[in-house]
Amino acid sequence: MSPMKLCVPGDRLCSTEDCMPGTGVYLRHGYIYSSLAGYVLRKNEGEELPVISVVRETEAQLLPDVGAIVTCKVTSINPRFAKVHILYVGSTPLKDRFRGTIRKEDVRATEKDRVETYKSFRPGDIVLAKVISLGDVQSNYLLTTAENELGVVVAHSEAGAQMVPISWCEMQCPRTHAKEFRKVARVQPEYLQA
Amino acid sequence: MLSCFKDKVGDVLLPGDVFSFQMPESITDSKPEKVVCGPGLRRNGDEVLVCKSGILRHKQPNLYWIDSQQRRYVPGKGESVIGIIAAKSGDIFKVDVGGSEQASLSYLAFEGATKRNRPNVQVGDLVYSQFIIANKDMEPELVCIDSCGRANGMGVFGAGGLLFKVSLGLVRRLLAPQSEIAKDLEKMFPFEIVVGMNGRVWVKSKTIQQTLIVANLLESCENMTAQQRQTLFRRVADGSI
Repeated sequence: MSPMKLCVPGDRLCSTEDCMPGTGVYLRHGYIYSSLAGYVLRKNEGEELPVISVVRETEAQLLPDVGAIVTCKVTSINPRFAKVHILYVGSTPLKDRFRGTIRKEDVRATEKDRVETYKSFRPGDIVLAKVISLGDVQSNYLLTTAENELGVVVAHSEAGAQMVPISWCEMQCPRTHAKEFRKVARVQPEYLQA
Repeated sequence: MLSCFKDKVGDVLLPGDVFSFQMPESITDSKPEKVVCGPGLRRNGDEVLVCKSGILRHKQPNLYWIDSQQRRYVPGKGESVIGIIAAKSGDIFKVDVGGSEQASLSYLAFEGATKRNRPNVQVGDLVYSQFIIANKDMEPELVCIDSCGRANGMGVFGAGGLLFKVSLGLVRRLLAPQSEIAKDLEKMFPFEIVVGMNGRVWVKSKTIQQTLIVANLLESCENMTAQQRQTLFRRVADGSI
């Protein structure tokens, strides 16, 4: 098999008449240029034109897109927002951890101004969220949990045991029977393992 | 069982002591005997664990807690403390309350403060304020107004007077509803006192000598029994003017 071609950002790969653009490339003046440093992949679709894309490693990296459901872990909280690390996009684990922010007004859909971050998330919680914006160069992904199916799925109590959800805003520790406030996600029954 | 737990009221307990309650029937709302765990006690399924070293106290009808002694303050929500303004940065003041990190106090959290009418607070001032956010995950936040927007005794104070530090147990004894120490002190001479739950006490009296006497008395009645304290107070009252 011929070795795959290497390219750097800005390399002109081919013209739009030869191939269709895929990921890691952009169109300019009727030609396809690479936007990443990596290997050129040309895939034959069949009747249509082949798709040309540039990948960093042999498998393509899945990036969170606007509207995607992501699984993240809360790293720190603040009265105005919560910082999270994005671990999974859909059901695919990510190799690097991307950073995300859940603002106070994006925690729930009703009574946005009376949200207390301490009663919605705590550091170490696993949260299901949706991406609303990719952010610019310096800011992180902006996420929201303002839906019934989004929110905290796994949380540990102050005693260290995994808590059981009892309502949309409370979870209970099975050992100390103490209740703690969280914004709990309503996970569909078919996704719950017995 | 519950009887041996009740016997221990007034004894010194250490972390790691376990009391197990095996209830014959499952735990329902209509339990015949209920135990409410206060600070220092924690429930672990069917057992009660002791988390702090101290004396087990009991209050009717069913409240138990550990009366522990420490000097290091841990911020708790709703507690009123004496803080020292350490820095001014933009819209908030950084206040030293004696905890692991400095608390933040917004300049709008004073009575009658608006964006145009800023409160007259300088670095180094003493403030009597209350925690609205105090937990292990976030930076503590203070306010000098209550939920209605009134100062209610809080705010900047301390022109003159002396600020000193005592242990947290003494502060709790001073702030108790029927405090004997406070009653004994009142008989001495008139003075102004502000007690913060972080172990800080501020005293002001007519003369500097009287202020120092009150400060020394408070610091020394930490480890005294009631009788020793009353003897000491009487001796000082007779000796001074």
